[in-house]
Formats: sequence, C-alpha cells, structure tokens
Amino acid sequence: MTALALRQDGPGTETAPGPRRRLFGLVVALVVLVVLLVLSVMIGSTAIAPSVVWDALFHSSADIDQFAIRDFRLPRTIAGLVVGVALGLSGALIQSLTRNPLADPGVLGVHAGASFAVTAAVGLLGVRDAQGYMWFAFGGALIVTLLVLALGSTRQGSSPVVMVLAGVCVGAVLGGAREALQLTNPDAFDAMRYWNAGSIVGRPLEVVWPILPYFAVALILAFAVSGPLNALALGDELAVAQGVRVVRTRVLAVIALTLLAGGATAIAGPIGFVGLMVPHVARWIVGPHQRWIFAYSILLAPSLLLVSDILGRVVMRPAEIPVGVVTAFVGGPVLVALVRRKKASGL
Amino acid sequence: MSNTPLMRRGAALAAALMSASLALTACGGDGDDTGVKAAETRSVKAAETRSVKAENGTIEVPVDPQRIVTIGNTNLPFIDLGGEPVGVTEVSASDLDVLPEGQRTVYEAAEIVGSSGGEVDLEKLAGLKPDLILVQFHSSDWDKVGKRLEAIAPTVFWGLDTEWKAFADAIAEAGNVADALSRQKAEFKEKVAKIQAAYGKIIDGTSFVDVSRGDWSDPGTFYIADIGCSEIARDDVGLDLPEAAEGKDPLAYESLPFEQIGELSKYDVITYPVDAEGQPTEPFVPVVETNTWKALPAVSSGRALGVFCPGNNSYGPVIRYLDSLDSALATLPAEK
Amino acid sequence: MSTRIPQVDFGRRVLVLRRRRIAVRLQWRSVVVCAVLAVAVAGTAVLALMTGSYPLSPGQVLSALTGRETGIVHDIVVEWRLPRVAAALVFGAALGVSGAVFQSLLRNPLADPGIIGFSHGSYTGALIVILVVNGTYVQLVGGALLGGMATAVAVYVLAYRRGAQGFRLIIVGIGVSAMLGSLNTWLILMADLDQAMSAAAWGAGSLNGVSWDQVVIGGACIAVLLLLAGMLSRPMRQMELGDDAAASQGVRVWPARLGLILVGVALTATVTAASGPIAFISLVTPQIARRLARTAGITLAPAAFVGALLCLASDYLAQHVAPTPLPVGIITVVLGGGYLGYLLFTEARRRL
Repeated sequence: MTALALRQDGPGTETAPGPRRRLFGLVVALVVLVVLLVLSVMIGSTAIAPSVVWDALFHSSADIDQFAIRDFRLPRTIAGLVVGVALGLSGALIQSLTRNPLADPGVLGVHAGASFAVTAAVGLLGVRDAQGYMWFAFGGALIVTLLVLALGSTRQGSSPVVMVLAGVCVGAVLGGAREALQLTNPDAFDAMRYWNAGSIVGRPLEVVWPILPYFAVALILAFAVSGPLNALALGDELAVAQGVRVVRTRVLAVIALTLLAGGATAIAGPIGFVGLMVPHVARWIVGPHQRWIFAYSILLAPSLLLVSDILGRVVMRPAEIPVGVVTAFVGGPVLVALVRRKKASGL
Repeated sequence: MSNTPLMRRGAALAAALMSASLALTACGGDGDDTGVKAAETRSVKAAETRSVKAENGTIEVPVDPQRIVTIGNTNLPFIDLGGEPVGVTEVSASDLDVLPEGQRTVYEAAEIVGSSGGEVDLEKLAGLKPDLILVQFHSSDWDKVGKRLEAIAPTVFWGLDTEWKAFADAIAEAGNVADALSRQKAEFKEKVAKIQAAYGKIIDGTSFVDVSRGDWSDPGTFYIADIGCSEIARDDVGLDLPEAAEGKDPLAYESLPFEQIGELSKYDVITYPVDAEGQPTEPFVPVVETNTWKALPAVSSGRALGVFCPGNNSYGPVIRYLDSLDSALATLPAEK
Repeated sequence: MSTRIPQVDFGRRVLVLRRRRIAVRLQWRSVVVCAVLAVAVAGTAVLALMTGSYPLSPGQVLSALTGRETGIVHDIVVEWRLPRVAAALVFGAALGVSGAVFQSLLRNPLADPGIIGFSHGSYTGALIVILVVNGTYVQLVGGALLGGMATAVAVYVLAYRRGAQGFRLIIVGIGVSAMLGSLNTWLILMADLDQAMSAAAWGAGSLNGVSWDQVVIGGACIAVLLLLAGMLSRPMRQMELGDDAAASQGVRVWPARLGLILVGVALTATVTAASGPIAFISLVTPQIARRLARTAGITLAPAAFVGALLCLASDYLAQHVAPTPLPVGIITVVLGGGYLGYLLFTEARRRL
C-alpha cells in the first residue's frame, strides 16, 4: 500500500492573492451564482417568456405559466441552492478535517451511509415521513464519518490512502446492503425512490425548510473552526503549540460535516463530486486559508449544481436527467485530472 | 447506481405490460423444437391433449388441465376468466387492492412461486406438480427460464407485445375457460356500443388526453398515458387521444416534468386515474395538488374526468373501466 | 495445480515430490491449507446440492447424481443445481486467480479488475452493442469484453506516472467508473425500453439460470487459462522481487508480464461474459489466501480455492439464506467489502 506523500503547505507559504483580490473574487462568484439562479428559473422543459417569469415572481396572478415558475422552477432552484451550499461546505470541511485533498462525502461513503440509514428506517422500522428520514440521514452520515475517520487515522495522523479505501469499502458494503434491502422489500421503497437518484426535482419546499436550521448551525460551526483547522493543517503538534484545542476542533467539524452531508442527502439523495471539485477550485483561487475556502465553496458549489441541473433539463427535452448523473459525468474526469497533478494540492 | 433509471423504466414497462400495447397477434410460431419435444414426451402421460399455438411454438396441452401455474401477466387474466391456478407469481399490492373479492380469494389460495416474471422459484414450482404453465413476461426472462419451465410441464408462453384481446383468447383456449370468455366478450361489445351511442356527439368534436403517474415515477414527473386503458378508449370507443408516432416508444414511457402540466391546456378534456371510490390514485395526488393543474381550463370548467382503470389485460377489468368511463362522460357539461 | 517456490524462500517446511524427472517442491503449509479449503469447498458444494425449495432427500440427490433418477428429480439435481454449483466453483476460482495475478503483477493489493473500471466499462460496451449496433448475443459479449478491457487499460494509463501507484489507481478508477456510470444511465434513458431490458438482463451479475452450456464452455476456457497461469506462476513470483532480480534469474520479463496480463484479464472476462460482473472476489481472495497460507507473496493455488469457496458460499447465502433470492454480486460486495474494511481496521490498529 503505497502512501501518497502529501505536502502540507501552511498559510503564507504559497503566493496567495491578497485580501482585496480574494474579496473581488468572492463578489464575482456571487454574481455568477445570482446569474445562475436567474437562469435556473428561466430555463426549463417548457419555454416560458422572461416577462412571464418576471411577473410570476413580482406580480403574481393565476396565469398557468406563472404557476409553473412559482411551483416548480423556484422550489427546485431553492433546493439546488441549499443542497449546493451544503455539499460544497461539507466537501471543504471533510478535505480539511482529513487533510486529504481527495476526500468527498460521496467518495468517503457518507452519502451511502445516509442512504442506507434511511432505507433501513423505511424498510425495517416503517418510517414514512420526511422528518423521520432526516434524522436517520443525520445518524447514518455521522456513523459513517466516524467509522471512516477511525479506519483512516493513526497516531501519526490520517493516511489519505487508507481513508479513501475505507470510504470505498464502507460505501460499497452499505450500497450492497441497501440494494439487498430494496430487493427484498420492493413495495416499501416506491415512496422513496429519489434516495437513489441524486436529483433536486419534485422536492416540496416543506422538505427543505426543516433542514435549514441545522444547516445554519453547521455554517456557524464551520466558520468557528476554520481558524483552528488552518492550524491543524500543519500537524497536530504544531497546532497544539499554537493553542488549538485539537479534539474540540475535530468534534465540531465532524458535527458540522454530518449535518451538512446528512441534510443534503435527506433533500436530494446522494450527489457526488460537487464536494470534491469545488473546494479544489476554491483553494486554487485563494490559497490555503480555510475561511476563504469555505466562503468560496459556499458560492461555487451551488453554481456548479445549478449548471448541472440546467444542463440536465435541456439535453433531453422534454425529459430530464437527474443532476447527480450530470455531476458524476463532469466530476469523474476532474477527479482523474486532480490525481494526475504532480502534487495533490496542499490544504 | 447506474441501473436505477432502468428499474424505473422497467416498472413502467411492467405497468404497460398489462396493457399490451402494440397491436400484434399471439402467433409467433418461431419457437424452438426442444420445448415441443419436451412437452410431447410429457403429454404421453396425460390422457388426452390438444395443441395450442403460442410464441414458443405449438404446444400439446391437456384437454382439461387441473393444476395450472400462471407466471407474470397471466395471473390475473386467468383468474378473471374463472380459472383457479395452484401457483401464481406476485402481483403488485395496487393491483390486488382493486381485485373483486372472489378473484382475490382465488389468488390468495394459490401458492406464490416467484416475485416477478424472471425470478421464479423453479423448484417450488416443480414441487406443485403442475400439468400446465401459462407465462407472459419479457422474452429475456423466457430465454433464461423457458427451457426449465418446459421441463416441468407443458408451458405456453406469450411475449409482452401480445395484444390483450388475442391474449385473452389464447389464455382461454390454453386454460380451457372459453365459456367465460364468450360471455365477457359479448358484454364488452354491448358496453362499447352503448357508450358510442350515448356520447357520439361529444366524442366526435372533442380532443381528449389521458394523464397518469405511477408509484415508480420520479418525484415531480407524470406521463401521458397512451397505452393501457386509454388505448381501449382510443381504439375501441373512438376517443380522440394522443398516440405515439409509428415505431416509437409509447408516450407513456417518457416522464414529463410537472412544468409540462401547463401544456395540457390545449386539450378539451383530460382524464386521470382514480380509485374505486373516485378519489385520485395515490401516485397521482401530487399532480392534482399543483396549482398548475387547478388552473388548467379543462380542470376549472369541470372537464377533467377521473376514470377508474382496474386493469387492461382481460375483459373483466376492461368492462369495469368502460362503466367508469361511461359515468365520467355523463358528467361532462353540455356545451363546450 | 502446484506452485513452485523460488529459490529465495528459505526457512519453511517444503514438500518435495519427485516423479520421473519432474520435481515439484511444495510449501507444506500451502498444501495443508489447500487441502482444508478443498474439503470446505466440497462440503459447501454438497450442501448447495442438497438445498432447495423442491424437497429432496440426500438419497435422492445421490441417486440423481449417479444417474439413477429420471424426470424432474434428475432435472433439478443434474440440470439446475449442479451447473449452478459448478459455475460458482469454477468462476470463483477463476476470479481468485485473476485477482492474484493482477495484484502480484502490479505489486499492489488493490489492483482489481473491478476497481479499475472493468465492470462499468463492460456494461457500457454491452449497452453500445445493444443500442447502436443492435447486435447478437455473441457481439454483446464481445462488446462487453472490449469495453471492459479498454476501460481497464485507460484507467491504468491514466494512473500511470512513473509507475501506477495503488492510490492513484483507485482514485482514477473511481473517477472513470463514475463517468461511465452516468454514461450508462444516459444510454439507458435514450434507449428503447425493450433494448434496455435485454442489456440489463446481461448486467445483473447473477448465477441464476446458469446452464451446462455456459459452464462447459466457460469452464474449458478457464481450465486452459488456469493451466497457463500455473505455468507462469514461477516467473510471476520472481518478478514480485523486482524486474531486475527476476531478469538476473533468467526470467524474460516482458513476455512473462504480457502473458500474465492476458491471462488475468481473460479469466475475469470469461466469468463476466458468462454471469455478468461479480464484484470483490478477485480483490479480496488473494489477500485471504496470502494470510491463510502465510506466504510472503501471492500464490495462485490457495487463491483459486479461496475464490471458489467464497463464490460458492456467497451464492448459497444469496439463494437460500436471504429472505428472497438475491443476485450473488450483492452478497460478494457486502462480504468482500466488509472483509477489506476489517483488514484496514486491523492494519490501522497495528500501526498505532
């Protein structure tokens, strides 16, 4: 088992852009996101004139096209925004927590854990409501995160190789078990098909709202630990020397990660690769500063998700391709390119 | 991960199967000889046999079969014709719910020998010592288990593209329940004639569309039903319903996002699935609840008709469907 | 199936068989392990033959096997249960050896045809044959093999950078598999439903309805390939020590390596063609075999037995223990993945 020599570049060792440029970039990212939010409301399987879209949002009437905007495009756009933020931030968190540039809640089996927990809840315990799904998704995500962290960690620190392997194993086992559960109990699973799909279509906003408070908590936690995580990137001992409380930082990061990854799965089912790609782009722009990486990830990930979703709507009109399929198609090659880079980018 | 859409589409197919949409007849005649031989060697034991033609060739079946096992889509049509199988494969809970009480009792009395078409527990089936096996499922399933079924007992196989009337004829012949069939056929003709006479005027100048949603459908999607019961409404009753272009997959195979509900405003009358009590079926409820649906001209003017379709692969449920269509058409407002 | 031990392996009890001019030196522990495994395989096979929902007494099964039954009892035992058991045994052995060859060749415990995208690629190949060419079954199998091999090669090449490192190999495999997975989804959505169904029938990865034809044809191929693998096992062991070391001992490295790659891919391909992808056996088997036989490197014979036992046991579980019959692939994923997780866990503990 050959280990990837992972170079840890501390803050300041790279020629990172100054705060002003970072802020400028952040504004650009925000503008891009807003444009995509607008496009996501404008583009769909039926052609609806921009003026109607405008009216639907600001001068609502009982026009049939306006309903299509308000009832379908707007909720899915909001779901895309929320899920995207959660995926991006959870990816950035898990990469920094594990000091593993290739970590992703999908690759590390966290989505599989959440999916399995929900499937088990539906199949074995008879849970049927969205609130119930959510708690099991959180539980599954938490257990898998802890398991993978435990399997991939040693006293000297974590090993990316072992951790990814552990994630792949856990993901495969839980995926197989989930499939077995579904095959043995097909009737129970018709109601929760979207757990396999990775899609943001047809989720009523009632599914999204209850998860928002948890995301808010996760967001605050993430930014609270972003400083200590920066220090941790240099190694536990150096971090301790700087006065970082290592265990507390890790525990908080894991809680935030669990809420985000579990919640995203609870809304959309497993969507892979967004959490992998986006933090890399963020790190590439701002250098190794967790707070900035988090901020950029929060803006870039929903953009990626929305672009993928819009693509999925137009390529097979009037039918649609689930967004998870599109992100995997885009994300696969990115993963390959990343791993082929001379030095996997430091954290 | 990768086969999920297929499973969905498979479910769509399974549902469509009941409808047997493509107008083909049951006479395949291209079956292989080995099956026939196997059937013949066995038929020596039976006192009297007669030959039946089906997709797996000409099969010698007992004149009066006593222990029949039905597999795949033959389960309910055979029971509908008054047959009493000793073994059946599972049918979906929603199909079971709408089964008349007597037929349900017959179904529940039979041994379950498999979950769905291809996944038959052959050993359990053999343990039932059947003298006739009636099968309708996908030909790839037949390729897997056909020979083994033929080794157990004379087996009559129909593909999924068998038109439902021809299918009913063939099952009745193979399973020796032709009397019930002719009664049902007469009733069917009478019902169709009655509807055409009563609503001929409305039918002539009105465009219809039948929409539906299955429990297999992705969240936020529905489809235009052009197979199944609406095929009977189109081809037998003569309603003006949309139809897929020649050689294409039926429209029902394509999931449409809810956004497309607005496009239904170009039809005069919309029909949608309801249960026996007249309430929208559970999978279809999300469509009815959308504001777009409520804003459709047909819906707001009382031209959205709930129609109960308990099945469409045999005469019994089709007759119940026609009754439901009859009373639905009666509620249409007089002027357009 | 005997393994020759390279000269460098000292300090173990070695069994030397001399017959005419051929001397075979066998490691004592390997022989014992193989014997025990063989007994376990035989036991599981007998159990599988005795179990089924058609009630048969052991006596009936025996007399059916010896040809003294006719009719349905004969069919059930000889035509249904036996080919399935034989297929599980032979295919399992093939997968085990294939995995052992790959892992030895790439000096990497993770080099597995499944991990490097073989199954997704072969499914893509099959789909393309069905959807684009509308081909026959033979073409479908050909397309599947081609797709699988092309993907495996592509993954290996993409991961190659001064040696194909284990880590990079898995990650590239994950990436390529994910991409092919979405390609497959898209192809299925585009296809006629009927065509998609026949592609799925192939891709299920199950031993359901395996017939003697498949077992005999597949088994013959596998027998030849296993023989070739046995012949190449000596240079294989020597190459594990490094190309230079092997060359200095008179091994012609490149021909041997090419031969091993071909044998390894062909073994997996044969199984995949007959039964669809059965995951994780080839990945886990060599590891289990290595630990049981306590050999330094990868050995083929124990791997073959472990593979057969694993596949047979998984299929038994899938068929008779699960509440409804499952494809064997699901059980192997759970068992194999679980075992790999356990290995990681113990290794992680040891490092502490």
